[in-house]
Amino acid sequence: MQRAIERRGIPTVSVTVARDVTEHAKPPRAVFVPFMMGHHFGVPFHRELQRRIVREALGRLAEAEQSGEIRDIPVTWAQARREGIAIERGMGLRDERRPE
Amino acid sequence: MTATSSDRGQLRPGLWATVNERYPGSMITKRDLVPLARLAKPLAESRLTFVSTAGVQPKGTLPFDVAHPVGDYSFRRVPSTATPADLEIHQLKYPTAGANRDLNVIFPIERLRELAAEGTIGGLTPSFFSFIGYNMDPERLERTLAEEIAAAVAADGAEAALLAPA
Amino acid sequence: MSLQYLKDAADRGDAEALIRYVRLHLGDGDEARGRAEIDKAWVEALKPLLDVPPTDRAFIHETLATKDPATLAHLFFDLHFYLVKRSGEWIHDGNL
Repeated sequence: MQRAIERRGIPTVSVTVARDVTEHAKPPRAVFVPFMMGHHFGVPFHRELQRRIVREALGRLAEAEQSGEIRDIPVTWAQARREGIAIERGMGLRDERRPE
Repeated sequence: MTATSSDRGQLRPGLWATVNERYPGSMITKRDLVPLARLAKPLAESRLTFVSTAGVQPKGTLPFDVAHPVGDYSFRRVPSTATPADLEIHQLKYPTAGANRDLNVIFPIERLRELAAEGTIGGLTPSFFSFIGYNMDPERLERTLAEEIAAAVAADGAEAALLAPA
Repeated sequence: MSLQYLKDAADRGDAEALIRYVRLHLGDGDEARGRAEIDKAWVEALKPLLDVPPTDRAFIHETLATKDPATLAHLFFDLHFYLVKRSGEWIHDGNL
């Protein structure tokens, strides 16, 4: 899919949570995040993290020099979850008494 | 499943091998690399599209076919002006726990609009593009759906594309 | 190429490979769960009929008589998911 778009002269970048799958599929540009499947842009209500993943991925559009390169974004799922829980507490969305 | 150099850091190690063992031949392996296309203009002046395999679709459109044993090879246009309340997910094969509470974790439509409004991105295409990642015929996907979406992306005036393969 | 794998299995009459695939599909990648899901769908199909309510037999007859085999097979898969959804136990949370 990504390769088909790139072949039309449109630069592409994907966000992947499965580095091994991406290494097999060899899209032109990718960033890897060690997040849960289905959570490529982080955790609910964590706007800053979601924006950061998008921006870092889009940064590759101008910066990447080699097709097939997968760039790590230095984030961890544990920290994303911790920050997400704190944000939800702040929003009153999470019951303080319920341990996570 | 032992971790290899290629899945270091992955929350779900050995995914490629696991899926390939369960659904033999369904995983794509490419040997060649596609030459990089270049941004004609800076990102702040470029029109971006977004392509997702997450099964996100506007409410009221024909639900993706999650029952068919060979998969669904159609796609939906998602207006880039849509709100999460306008959209729903039809897809069984990845966890939607986060997306059910905040769609932006898999389909960051609000974040992309913000970045466009702030000028980080030049603009957004009228449509984003969505399909489901479950399919048993990758050759057909590549031959039909990939080309149809690529043509639609180009026709929508995209100058750059962000993808999120679920 | 996976479709070809299934077609080859069908051609050589390898029912084991085909049923394994069906269980994987219905169990989201977990064969044992897929087997349980098939049983669950049949139980759910049985339950609404135990009181022997009137059903639209003409519709069923006409559907079977007029629809092509592929549409009927597709309906069979859809009915599976319809029935397991009715059971109230939905395993399809994507955690394959």
